Amino acid sequence: MSSRTLMSALRGAFLISALAAVLFPLTWVTLASFKTPQQLNDPSLIVFQPSLINWSYVFEAGILQAAGRSAFVAGITVLISAIVGSAAAYVISTYKAGGSATRFGILAAQVLPPAVLVFPFLTLAYVLRVNDTLIPLIFAHLSFVLPVVTWFLIGFFDSVPRSLEEQARVDGFTRFKAFLLVVLPQVYPGLGAAVIFGFTLSWNDMFYGLILTPSKSAILPVAIAGFNTFRGVELGSMSAAILVAVVPVVIASFFIQKRLVQGISGGAVKY
Amino acid sequence: MLVKRNLTKAFALIGTTALLAAGCATGTGTEAESSGVGEVPTDTSATVRILMEAVPDTDIVQGLIADFNAQYPNITIEVEALAFDQMRDKLIASFQSSEPTYDLIVADNPWMDDFAPAGFLEPLDDRIANTPDFDHEDFFGPLREIADVDGVTYGVPFYNYALGYLYNEALLADAGLSVPTSLEELVSTSQALTSGDQTGLAMQPQRGYKIFEEWANFLFAAGGSIYNEDGSGALDSPEAQAALEAYIELYNTAAPENSLNWAFDEAFRSVSTGQSAAMVSYNWNLPALNSPDAGDFAGDFKLATMPGGKQVLGSWSWAIPSNSAASDAAWAFVSWLTSKEVDVQRVTAGGAAVRESTLQDETVLAEGFGADYYAAIIAILSNAAPLSEGAGGEEMIQAVGTELSEAVAGTKSVADALAAANAAINDIQG
Amino acid sequence: MLLPLLAVSGVAVGLPLAYAFYLSLTNFSLTQQGPAGFVGVDNYQGSLTNEGLWSAIGTTATYVVIAVTLETILGLLIALSLQKQKWARDITRSMLLAPMFITPIAVGLTFRFLLNDQLGAIPYLLDGVGISYDFLGTGNALLTLALIDVWQWTPFMVLLLLAGLESIPKQPMEAARVDGAGALYIFRRITLPLLVPILSVAILLRSLDALKVFEYVYATTRGGPGTETETIQYFTYQTGIQFFRLGEASSMAFILLAIVLPLIIILFRRLDRAK
Repeated sequence: MSSRTLMSALRGAFLISALAAVLFPLTWVTLASFKTPQQLNDPSLIVFQPSLINWSYVFEAGILQAAGRSAFVAGITVLISAIVGSAAAYVISTYKAGGSATRFGILAAQVLPPAVLVFPFLTLAYVLRVNDTLIPLIFAHLSFVLPVVTWFLIGFFDSVPRSLEEQARVDGFTRFKAFLLVVLPQVYPGLGAAVIFGFTLSWNDMFYGLILTPSKSAILPVAIAGFNTFRGVELGSMSAAILVAVVPVVIASFFIQKRLVQGISGGAVKY
Repeated sequence: MLVKRNLTKAFALIGTTALLAAGCATGTGTEAESSGVGEVPTDTSATVRILMEAVPDTDIVQGLIADFNAQYPNITIEVEALAFDQMRDKLIASFQSSEPTYDLIVADNPWMDDFAPAGFLEPLDDRIANTPDFDHEDFFGPLREIADVDGVTYGVPFYNYALGYLYNEALLADAGLSVPTSLEELVSTSQALTSGDQTGLAMQPQRGYKIFEEWANFLFAAGGSIYNEDGSGALDSPEAQAALEAYIELYNTAAPENSLNWAFDEAFRSVSTGQSAAMVSYNWNLPALNSPDAGDFAGDFKLATMPGGKQVLGSWSWAIPSNSAASDAAWAFVSWLTSKEVDVQRVTAGGAAVRESTLQDETVLAEGFGADYYAAIIAILSNAAPLSEGAGGEEMIQAVGTELSEAVAGTKSVADALAAANAAINDIQG
Repeated sequence: MLLPLLAVSGVAVGLPLAYAFYLSLTNFSLTQQGPAGFVGVDNYQGSLTNEGLWSAIGTTATYVVIAVTLETILGLLIALSLQKQKWARDITRSMLLAPMFITPIAVGLTFRFLLNDQLGAIPYLLDGVGISYDFLGTGNALLTLALIDVWQWTPFMVLLLLAGLESIPKQPMEAARVDGAGALYIFRRITLPLLVPILSVAILLRSLDALKVFEYVYATTRGGPGTETETIQYFTYQTGIQFFRLGEASSMAFILLAIVLPLIIILFRRLDRAK
């Protein structure tokens, strides 16, 4: 009895420390976003007169538009990756299609440093005459999001028992329907995690975003990196920009993980 | 299997397309030419897209665009301001493409020696000669030399970033010390100013560019130089040894604790909050340190030449890409902006100096940031040298900067580090 | 079904890869005009004998091992705790995910100032207990960067492992509990083995991502002190983009691929056999 409460207490304490470790830098960033340049130089300043100059500067500089573009690019990338990736993962997992070559070849683009791939992407963008759009960026993001999503899902599909699908086929489902209505729901937790992670990878990318987007349509990480100027880092503005980047996504992930990550075992055969 | 065959077909197709793309896409392959037009008609109509660095000097330039349009109403100026690394990457991308993104750029001094021979920049000698009252000789010597590659001028100075000794006059006076005039004095003064929570010199030993930029001033102060007359490396000299030993001693005794990775930002904040008494940094930082909202010590700061009188300098120059879509209009803007009258306006507003006449102009001395500030800048710019000369500048700077960092970190001896640095200069630029 | 994948991945991944490979066989420099000259395997020979490259590979390997090991252990512990958590579940989970969503350069810059001796909150607090530690100094820098990685990416492990924990069938564990097995036994003998597929995917993906660490180095130390934090991505970035030698940088990237890919294949074959 008491060992159970001890475990529970330990767990609670552990989670609280994890939360503290996560929130400490974020709190610092939040405070910094309300400080004037002078106040930023004092590490002990917690109670102070907040100022909104950083926030107004950041909004005037177009941070919301940049965030919108990032969301757009990330959204499309993740959508394509989810659809194509789950199909591919299913096929690879079930039929071992393509053998090791495909399975591991997909990862090649993951290993290569973006520094090396960025100019090829740019050259191809010019050749295909799409260099003034966000299309090259979406393709560049696909190059590292699609493999990741596919790989995630291969692992999850691997742990779905074959009997489930067989049962559905016996019950009269076509292969495709069996996949869509029986097998896929089993991996929803994995899909949810993959969607969140894929979105994050695309949302955070600065390297490709820097070179492949037309100058007037910077994406969010590029805008944030822009606060690192020759005359020093504009800490206050950068902190405000960071919060603009983080808060909406945290809120969005709150809803996504509630639906997907927590897992739904409904739909298919109850074990 | 069917899948394997499809895959092989797909990759074959991909491979061929890639090779084709590679063939047609790289470079422009044209020789850099210039129309040579110096005096551009005021009714010229064009759009000039400019890539600049996001620094206060750029803001000042943007503030002057309206005045430019008063004279050239049909030229639209579009300025894109980016941070340094982003700039370089976008510049290269623009040079490499058949349809340029920029019609006018600013180039950092190490790049001049790589861009010009590559044919990326338009030679400007004819334009300069054909522009009335331009007075090219009025620009400081070191800045003109930087824009000159193999006897051809490819750039016009935009702003300098020469370093100097920025110090808190009040703190020095309190300790009864005067501005150091030699390397030994620099060490002793900084050490004397280190007590309690205060340190004598906020250093910037970050590996790579920053440490080399700071240390080279020490090298000059010791009487050394980076290159020999014949262009080979001169870091194997006793002066270099003395300079590096002094630098390390200063780091260990007079610099803020735990500051091995410090660069400009940290040092600037340290000085402006009074936690350090001085720093070696760009001359135009003085107004920023003394600006009223900078902190409790605003107004106490002064600029002096480095001990020994010679300092490191960098410089940004206006340059016209050879694939520019509006080269005449671009020159109209450049020649207008760098003309004597407009330069006075620019410097009075806080821009960094490039012309000798401007620093002696009455308006500037009266309305600017103080006559002794400008006097110090004249002294600094009269005896300054860049870190790198010749192609492969960035690589050489990084290599030397790595060796210096090893020495300060204690992982290599001073002699070994300097020998390696010198070998790097000869290998990369020899 | 594989056709859409081929089409999309072919263009997105295959073309630039092939082009980069082509470049690695040339002496292409970003400051040259006209097409590049074919030099065959010269770049590869040069890169294979480049001490700097091997040193960077070693540094990166150390970084990856430290960071991913810590992330896996912490991630697992947090995921297990979150699964059993009763209060404020959703809020805790989304807040714990927050570090992942900050673009790495911003994380790097934030920590650069947070760890700054004169301006940062952390040394300020440490000073209160009398500790002075050079986070980004000799001998410490790589570890500090790995810890920054842990701060940002443990949430990823948590996310994935939590999804994994929620996915595995509950029945075997229920059965074991009914039979009287203790929590630790259940974990070691039942939960963990069931998690292995997902654990291996998580570790693999995180490691591949950690291999590409660049922004933290760029924001804080620029590869220093000396070459202590010079990682592969930073090294190839300098060679290819700062020094303009893109052909050479491409060859380095492919050498890396040639080292990493077989490692992955061997690892997964082992895991498959162990099942």
